[in-house]
Amino acid sequence: MASIVRPSLLRQSGVAPAAGRDLRKRAPQPYALSKLNSSSFRTQSIASRILPLRSDVLRGIPPSMLRVAGFHASGRRPILPAGPQIIDGTANDPAPIPQPSPTHGSYHWAFERLISAALVPLTVAPFAAGTLNPVTDAILCATILIHSHIGFQSVIIDYIPSKRLPKTRALFWWGLRAATLTVAVGLYEFETNDVGLTEAVKRIWIA
Amino acid sequence: MAVLRTTTSRILASTRPSTLSPFLRRTYATVEPISNLGEAMSATQRPVSPKHTSTIHEPAQSPEARTKTFHIYRWSPDTPTEKPKMQSYTLDLNKTGPMVLDALIRIKNEVDPTLTFRRSCREGICGSCAMNIDGVNTLACLCRIPANTSHEARIYPLPHTYVVKDLVPDLTQFYKQYKSIKPYLQRDTKTEDGLENRQSPEDRKKLDGLYECILCACCSTSCPSYWWNSEEYLGPAVLLQSYRWLADSRDEHKAERKEMLDNSMSLYRCHTILNCSRTCPKGLNPGKAIAEIKKTMAFT
Repeated sequence: MASIVRPSLLRQSGVAPAAGRDLRKRAPQPYALSKLNSSSFRTQSIASRILPLRSDVLRGIPPSMLRVAGFHASGRRPILPAGPQIIDGTANDPAPIPQPSPTHGSYHWAFERLISAALVPLTVAPFAAGTLNPVTDAILCATILIHSHIGFQSVIIDYIPSKRLPKTRALFWWGLRAATLTVAVGLYEFETNDVGLTEAVKRIWIA
Repeated sequence: MAVLRTTTSRILASTRPSTLSPFLRRTYATVEPISNLGEAMSATQRPVSPKHTSTIHEPAQSPEARTKTFHIYRWSPDTPTEKPKMQSYTLDLNKTGPMVLDALIRIKNEVDPTLTFRRSCREGICGSCAMNIDGVNTLACLCRIPANTSHEARIYPLPHTYVVKDLVPDLTQFYKQYKSIKPYLQRDTKTEDGLENRQSPEDRKKLDGLYECILCACCSTSCPSYWWNSEEYLGPAVLLQSYRWLADSRDEHKAERKEMLDNSMSLYRCHTILNCSRTCPKGLNPGKAIAEIKKTMAFT
């Protein structure tokens, strides 16, 4: 009965039509229900005791709701808020067409495929040739970096819509750039001060 | 004068007590006094004993009944705060048609008239009865009921659509997107004879596998990319139709059509997972059509 003095909860259960469901849930407990039903004057008296304190909140709430609210110590929370169910324009308008930008469209796609296709020979070549060339190593590192950057960009575009979540989108966008830059610096350090990518893979393979 | 006489005689006839028999006098619907009613209607008459009447039994379950359970998604806009629920119906498959739509119609006719779904042609031409049956988007009218009665069928509306009621999805955005690709012939020039836009049989052949699409939205609603980005990504069905006009030899606005797709969202959210081609109840290949669009966009 502690929650009976929580006005926010009372308002919630007063508004939420699911309150009826909770009554039913409580139904299998005959003792509690019969006690409540027979001694409704008790809840009335509780309400009248609170009324002077929170009259503005409790006014208009039927005593049955007070009874239901008494059983709930925590608020009801939906898992995630539903997105705005809005459609641009009327039902008869065509969907808006975005501004054409080949750099994000066809050129981007072609570049992406080119990088992906280039990775295959670049990965195989150093091992097949059996030689370690710092230039091919550098090209391989750069290609992997661009490839993964484009891939992660695609993931962000897919899952964080800029219309609905512009701030989250910006956060992830810049976060990805920072991550790519960090990896670039790390690879540069690894290539210049250590054995380099191909040699590292070779050693791990043998070990 | 004759007219006048007949009118007066009619008025008089209605007022004076008639000498005709009561049977002939009854020209209008009247309420008989209760005393005039026959004995048969009287409450004092004892009913016929059950020994002298026949008994009507409830139709018995036949021993060879093949009872199958259907779990169907239910949600009503009349009670918007109530959660969607799965309702179960059992049907005897011997008395039901072979397709899932037959089962749904039978449930609606005989069991639960509140069950709501779209249907029209019942032969896979209209695309109204698209729904998710046992985890696959398909047309209920083209989907056989699995004969295995131990398996319980589950029927949902098309995934990731706003539900209007029960199995009826809201396809407004889908149709708006279809409208945005201008699905009609666009020409600036006239042909030589100015009558018909002729096409060679080879060019016509390019449209096979594209024009058959009935826009049932099975493929679009099976595409995760369309689930997440249906506001901007056009989805496989609309892109298939877009390619249908890009492949049409008679259309003259191809550059404009391509420009409409040349952005990050409209076309390139397709990641070639090919759920669309797998689910299409008409056996079309939207995945291939999208790949063809990407090819033409990249190399021209």
